Amino acid sequence: MVDYRISRRTLLTGTAAAGALSLTGLPARAEVNWKKYAGTKLEVILAKGPRGDNLQKNLKEFTDLTGIQVEAEQIPEQQQRQKVVIEFTSGRPSFDVVHLSYHVQKRQFEKAGWLADLTPYMKDPNLTAPDLVESDFSAAGLQYAKNDKGQMLSLPWSVDYFILYYNKELFEKKGVAVPKTLDEMLAAAEKLTDPKEGIYGFVGRGLRNANMAMWSNFFLDYGGEFLDAKGNILTDGPEAIAATKLYQTLLTKAAPPGVAGFNWMESMASFTQGRSAMWIDGVGWAPPLEDPAASRIVGKVGYTVVPAGPKGQYSSTYGDGIGVAAASKNKEAAYLLCQWAVSKQQGARLLQAGGGVPFRNSILGDPEVQKGVKTKEWLQSVIESGKISKLGLPVVIPVAEFRDIVGAALTATLSGADPAAELKKANDQYRPILERSEKT
Amino acid sequence: MSALRKSTPAAAQSDAAPEKELRPPSYWPFVVPALVVVLAIIIFPWVFTIWMSLNEWKVGSSTTFVGFSNYLRLTSDPRFLESVVHTIAYTALSVLLPLVFGTFAAVVFHQKFAGRGFLRGVFIMPMMATPVAIALVWTMMFHPQLGVLNYFLSLVGIPPQLWVFHPATVIPSLVLVETWQWTPLVMLIVLGGLAAIPAEPYESAQIDGANLWQVFRFITLPLIMPFLFIAGMIRMIDAVKSFDIIFAITQGGPGSASETINIYLYSVAFTYYDLGYGSAIAVVFFLLIVALAAVMLYARQRMVWTEIASDA
Amino acid sequence: MTPRQIIGKIGLWLSVFVIVSPAILFFLWMLSLSLKFEIDNAAYPPVFFPEHIAWKNYADVLASNRFLTYFINSLIVTGSATALALMVGVPAGYGIARMAAHKSAIVILIARITPGLSYLIPLFLLFQWLGLLGTLVPQIIIHLVVTVPIVIWIMIGYFETTPMELEEAALIDGATRWQVFRHVALPIAKPGIAVAFILAVIFSWNNFVFGIVLAGRETRTLPVAVYNMISFDQLSWGPLAAAALIVTLPVLLLTVFAQRQIVAGLTAGAVKGG
Repeated sequence: MVDYRISRRTLLTGTAAAGALSLTGLPARAEVNWKKYAGTKLEVILAKGPRGDNLQKNLKEFTDLTGIQVEAEQIPEQQQRQKVVIEFTSGRPSFDVVHLSYHVQKRQFEKAGWLADLTPYMKDPNLTAPDLVESDFSAAGLQYAKNDKGQMLSLPWSVDYFILYYNKELFEKKGVAVPKTLDEMLAAAEKLTDPKEGIYGFVGRGLRNANMAMWSNFFLDYGGEFLDAKGNILTDGPEAIAATKLYQTLLTKAAPPGVAGFNWMESMASFTQGRSAMWIDGVGWAPPLEDPAASRIVGKVGYTVVPAGPKGQYSSTYGDGIGVAAASKNKEAAYLLCQWAVSKQQGARLLQAGGGVPFRNSILGDPEVQKGVKTKEWLQSVIESGKISKLGLPVVIPVAEFRDIVGAALTATLSGADPAAELKKANDQYRPILERSEKT
Repeated sequence: MSALRKSTPAAAQSDAAPEKELRPPSYWPFVVPALVVVLAIIIFPWVFTIWMSLNEWKVGSSTTFVGFSNYLRLTSDPRFLESVVHTIAYTALSVLLPLVFGTFAAVVFHQKFAGRGFLRGVFIMPMMATPVAIALVWTMMFHPQLGVLNYFLSLVGIPPQLWVFHPATVIPSLVLVETWQWTPLVMLIVLGGLAAIPAEPYESAQIDGANLWQVFRFITLPLIMPFLFIAGMIRMIDAVKSFDIIFAITQGGPGSASETINIYLYSVAFTYYDLGYGSAIAVVFFLLIVALAAVMLYARQRMVWTEIASDA
Repeated sequence: MTPRQIIGKIGLWLSVFVIVSPAILFFLWMLSLSLKFEIDNAAYPPVFFPEHIAWKNYADVLASNRFLTYFINSLIVTGSATALALMVGVPAGYGIARMAAHKSAIVILIARITPGLSYLIPLFLLFQWLGLLGTLVPQIIIHLVVTVPIVIWIMIGYFETTPMELEEAALIDGATRWQVFRHVALPIAKPGIAVAFILAVIFSWNNFVFGIVLAGRETRTLPVAVYNMISFDQLSWGPLAAAALIVTLPVLLLTVFAQRQIVAGLTAGAVKGG
């Protein structure tokens, strides 16, 4: 149901180039025996979205290459997470390959030991193409995929940076320059706001839980760290309070009414209708914004990095990985599929469709691949964000609780509550949960 | 009809009493298969839930027996306590409003007019449509900037509302959807009650020159009271457990302003995977529904007594 | 007509209009959403009649592979769950009504009061242990939680209203209780069974919470499958509304055509509801 019409042609030319490149670029080393597991049957469980689409759509190529039969299914993210966890808990998951969200599931999966260690496979030249090496993945990717023992438990698949989308037309109309700092952004947002016209300077997630992903950009820019060396949570410190004050002012003074209940969906509706001038969210929204059937601002969207704060400039980073179930009976074949999913060809397709950003520098940095990306400004914002990337959530098991509790505090400030008091209250509520989860 | 109404209960009583003495209750074979089926499905989940509520079990870790500490944790969990308040507010409104509108609709549909059957079919469509799909369409209609509801309000000069996007209005807005969807059920039940009312009291009321409201208040309402009670009971059980609508529209937000017990239970069990604690919430939640039902039954019984007293 | 009657007529039609319009407007709006491109669906002021009709919203849903499989799954799950519920529920309703044993209905009530979510994890583990996952059996069984109480609830009410005289006469003539049920009570109760059937079908058809966890790729029911088709990575109100209408259409048609039976069944069933 995802519509990629705009980029389909560019996609085809781009992948053809990438495919040709990877064929000629192979050094004469031990060949991967792709056909070794021919006839094996794999089950794959994917989260619904461009990543899942991109894999499922091209599966035939994988089957042609390896002779491995694949049954894949996509389920909406939230249900997929639940189903995966319940199946893993039962000890006999029905799938061999699993798509996971690092920012939510990394610690949980590691601690439960649900994923197979891929390190030995990566070292095996009979199983791994020579261009797939650990060092090719970005730092954030390795941070996500490796456990504290240094084992690769999954392959980093697609990274999600937060970027600033802005409406060039509205900016020109009011003579506003693209903000470089958070303070400039606030000033610009206030200047762009014109409630009589139904136009607001800024839109973004106000909804509890979802809002944490945007707020953390501010938090990191103000110098915030989620955890101290002992693993205590730090989201009631001065950095958090400053970030929350900005969040509160921005969303109460310069954002559409009702923003406290907005997720990305409502925010996007407002932005694509030209009723909000700026929007901070994940990089994956370029396709709908540039789709004339869904957007009134095609060709008027500017893409740039999230502005800098007093203590630096960071882009909150989240990501997806693909791994092999420890209980799978076909681990090697499953590994081949994971490898194919993060291959240059597949990564190039993903990037060129605007559906995600590969963790592998060799793909993102390849001029041939870049040529196939339609919106250059978007690509630039992605590359720049990669340089200032920082994980947007604490790497702990009770992430969902963290997002709910602190997120609720943020939402409360939108109806006038005091940031310091709310954050303190949230922290008091969260601390015992974190302690309980880390002790067992 | 009136003869039937009068004779049936009496017949059933005079019939049932001697029968129990003469023969063993030989109707049990009719009931047993259903009981077996239902018990087979619910026993394991209940045993499992009660046992788990006495354990600390987070998915991915081992379980430890902790006695009643999950229940103790509930008493000091502000989110849980808040969710109880939301549940009660949500339930009260979602019982009352459909009862009022449903009664009105039943009185109207009890009249004879052209196209009644078709319009009645249209009227009960909301209750039959797939709830999740319905809820998602409502979400879009509530959008404060782009929603069709605010557009209609603007046509009659009312300023835009925030609906589900503001903590103060979120519960009433959700109840609006709930009312829209479930008023038909109340209507159907009350319609059943109206059909059973004999014509004589109306005829004599007409002779006495009573107006419409008086007729409704003093003749119709007392006679349909038992049906309203049943409708209220069913509505209460469903409203307390309401999930699809709240989950699809607000997921308990903004903040936690519409987080009911069922939504919180969902978060704890399926997002935090804290199954021990979630089981304790499920048990308490169940007891709460039973308690609410008992209160309603008690109120009903008192009502009957006062009715009898006023008759005498 | 006297002026009083005319006022009464106007009042009646006004009331009918007020009562029915929320439902009509909603479904028309849903239809409108399903026929528009995204750009019109998010427009303000709202676009009610689009210039370009987006038939592709429907084509997308119907073209998605396995639509037929899911439809058949839904038929099997809803059909079996309803048939089984009628088989055990109708006699149970009869028995409970004749014994006036409302206390045994409490067990049924427990099944209804139990939060649906608390069935999911235990039953998933149980079905896996029994090796039934991957078949439609788990869903049929769990749907009984929905259908059996509905059937019993309606049948109790219905049998309580059917006259006892014939049954008593048959008993005196030496018929067994089963024969009485089969040949005397059951034929009279047909309208009640019809409404129990319709409501059980509708509530089972619409249920999708159970399917999320218990259904796999091959065993998905239509509501679950359609919900899964909705991409949450894009604003897709058109396809969503189209999918929702396709799923809901069978029950909506059933409602409009069978409303007479539903009303008749419920009305009779509720006569002695108090």
